[in-house]
Amino acid sequence: MQTQTYELNMGPQHPSTHGVLRIILELDGEVVVKATPVIGYLHRGIEKICEGKTYGQTIPFTDRMDYMHSMNNNLGLCQAVEKLMGLEVPERAEYIRVIMAELSRIASHMIYAGALVNDLGGVTGFVFLIRDRERILELFNKACGARMTFNYIRIGGVQQDVPEGWVEECRRFVDDFPEMMHTYNGLIMGNEIFQARMKDIAILPPDRAVAMAASGGVLRASGVNYDVRKDDPYGIYDRFDFDVPLGTKGDNWDRFIVRMQEMEQSIRIIDQALKQMPEGPVMAKVPKVIKPPVGEVYHHVENSKGDLGYYVVSDGGMKPYRWHARRPAMVNLQLLDELCRGYKIADVVAILGTLDPVLGEVDC
Amino acid sequence: MQGKGLLTGMGITFREFFRKKVTEEYPDVQPDLGDRFRGGKIHLVASKCIACGLCQNACPNGSVRLTTVKDANNKRQLATYVHDTGLCLYCNLCIEACPTKCIEWTKEFALSSYSRDGLVFDCLEAARQRGDVKPPEAPQPDGEKG
Amino acid sequence: MNSNPDLLTSLAGSIRSVLSPLIGNPDGVDMAMYGVGLLAVITLIFTNAVILVWGERKVAGFMQSRYGPNRLGPWGLFQSIADVLKLMSKEDYRPKLVDKWVWALAPIIMFAPAVAAYAVLPFGKDLVPVDLNIGIFYFIAVSSITTIPLLMAGWGSNNKYSLIGGMRAVAQMVSYEIPLVFSMLGAIMLVGSLKMSSIVEAQSHIWFVFLQPVAFLVYVIAATAETNRAPFDLVEGESEIVAGPLTEYSGMRWAMFFLGEYANLLAVSAIASAVFLGGWQPLPLPGALGDMMHAIPGWIWFALKTYIMIFVFMWFRWTFPRFRVDQLMGFGWKVLLPLSLANILVTGVGIFLYRVAIGG
Repeated sequence: MQTQTYELNMGPQHPSTHGVLRIILELDGEVVVKATPVIGYLHRGIEKICEGKTYGQTIPFTDRMDYMHSMNNNLGLCQAVEKLMGLEVPERAEYIRVIMAELSRIASHMIYAGALVNDLGGVTGFVFLIRDRERILELFNKACGARMTFNYIRIGGVQQDVPEGWVEECRRFVDDFPEMMHTYNGLIMGNEIFQARMKDIAILPPDRAVAMAASGGVLRASGVNYDVRKDDPYGIYDRFDFDVPLGTKGDNWDRFIVRMQEMEQSIRIIDQALKQMPEGPVMAKVPKVIKPPVGEVYHHVENSKGDLGYYVVSDGGMKPYRWHARRPAMVNLQLLDELCRGYKIADVVAILGTLDPVLGEVDC
Repeated sequence: MQGKGLLTGMGITFREFFRKKVTEEYPDVQPDLGDRFRGGKIHLVASKCIACGLCQNACPNGSVRLTTVKDANNKRQLATYVHDTGLCLYCNLCIEACPTKCIEWTKEFALSSYSRDGLVFDCLEAARQRGDVKPPEAPQPDGEKG
Repeated sequence: MNSNPDLLTSLAGSIRSVLSPLIGNPDGVDMAMYGVGLLAVITLIFTNAVILVWGERKVAGFMQSRYGPNRLGPWGLFQSIADVLKLMSKEDYRPKLVDKWVWALAPIIMFAPAVAAYAVLPFGKDLVPVDLNIGIFYFIAVSSITTIPLLMAGWGSNNKYSLIGGMRAVAQMVSYEIPLVFSMLGAIMLVGSLKMSSIVEAQSHIWFVFLQPVAFLVYVIAATAETNRAPFDLVEGESEIVAGPLTEYSGMRWAMFFLGEYANLLAVSAIASAVFLGGWQPLPLPGALGDMMHAIPGWIWFALKTYIMIFVFMWFRWTFPRFRVDQLMGFGWKVLLPLSLANILVTGVGIFLYRVAIGG
């Protein structure tokens, strides 16, 4: 029988494309022949905007890139500028930065896991994860007054010290986390339907992952041990004892479970940081007008999506001459076509979920 | 055993059925915004303002707009002060830039409006309505001016 | 045992006694009584759909540590009435490129078999609207029509998402029909009759769920798939194909689909409680407790069991993620079908051995 492929336009308005991603699917029945992601619906030209702002003013714009893991975005840019200026950051600020970045990573992974479960039809798992993420957002709200776009980590330190009682509340969250994880294990990871949906789907071999410049959970799920926090430690990450969870196969299940294990490792880091955190100032002596010396800097940090890099060129003025971000979600998304071919429409949603694109970052 | 995971999941949702709910009943119960809340609009204490314009300069997005006039003493005074919440990033940079701490956030967060104009707030007018105006200073003798 | 006519049967009797002098002809009275029954069934479907929509949202909320609807009326009870009003007041919008007749007829055809299926449900002792001697057979035949409107909606909408959904609907419902029927066969073999009332009567001592646990399991799974509910909600598959065949419908047309779906849910739950949970039979308890159980009217028992089944279906929905389409078909054909066939075999052997044992 002669059959014919057809095109299905998934998005930009679609329940599970994580924002305004459009995927042009070429389908043979339910089987994907080709998947072309079309991006740019959320393009705001952040890189160009930032060339017209002072260094301090660009930080709020990094919040709006990967809005799920904003703290780390702030951190990356601030450390890049600090590198350029040769600034020393006070100890306490470094610890607060690590705690915030790791809390933010957990929040981001919670959204990741929740959205993935929701895409597979398990709405309750999504709600549970969002409910527990609320506690992290509340911690952020107490510290800086914002729940999503923080602008908390600044060049030279953090905006202000955490309020009284914050450390205890954070400690309570750390203590409660194993129980939350237990719930997710029962409801999501232990569910046979969920496992059947995830296991052995969209296998990404390590050599392809490296060739496509994948990073973060996507890369580590394929068994490549690369974590910027370990391999090119920034800030004070070399002081903490944590493992880098690795997958073995590189299928959807590995990409999911690696991130769930990363959450546990983040909790370990927060636990150590809370114990070691010294008293002291949270802001270095930074001139009112930040004018880094002429030069360029590339600094990368481990975002929840992968290897987030900032390239900043200074011409000695108040504003950056060039401001570029290497956005991991954008790079990881390029794998979509390769991974989707030969799988079903329902798998496209799952694969997209495990690649974890945040459209704010993809389009920038 | 196949199916054990399904039953565990059902157990979890069933237990949740009888747990305490976490819903915040919003219009009836106002949320606790916290002391450091960033949002709402700018609350300007006009009597403390020295019209230096640092907040306007600090704003990354041109959300805070002010104009000044010179008064009789050749001192700058606020003529207009507008907070365009439609453009605001709520980054807190203006609040931190203020040398006299004369601006802060209000706690009104429900600012939705049918048009963009509804998002522009005249903070100086609001201050006047509160009766918060700068006391007019007596003109000083010319000789004292350098 | 339940010799005293209860509330509903006596109500039917009094209506009949009012009507008979008015009409005279006994056949005419019978016809009029069918009309009354139909009216009752339709009322039941509408009120039930309203309650189920509310219940579904409440169950979903409670399982997700929320309250669910709680603004309108006590416990948000009037929420679904407000929803109905909203749906009715919406514009009847027809997309330009739909196949007019096929598209417009689909919601009506969806609703019709749902109503027809209620004709044989044994709501209580002497409370079967039409006690056909092929009751279960009729139910299966009528409820399998539900496949057609979904395909019609999928085809007529002229939308690729709808078409995929329509195709999935046919594949899924046709393949799960078979284990559904086979699972009921075990119970029918035990009774030796397709008549609803005799199936329920046969369970006065022991419910068939204890004699046919595998069949009950297969029935519950297949019924979930038949009603297109999670984890088998591939037909709507919100996160994949937007809303499947319902994508292009809005307002009352969409509400008709919804009504049909909840009517089907109630119907399969009612059949589950009639065939496996003893229908209107009270809990078989010994002694005085058993007498107390008998004092409760049969239709209350029936409703209770049905709603417990509905709760179980909702519980499934708010716990499990969705199957993929190939897994769904594989599960239906490779697991459920052999299981139900084996169940029939075991039941047959069991009946044979029982007859040998009692020397029949």
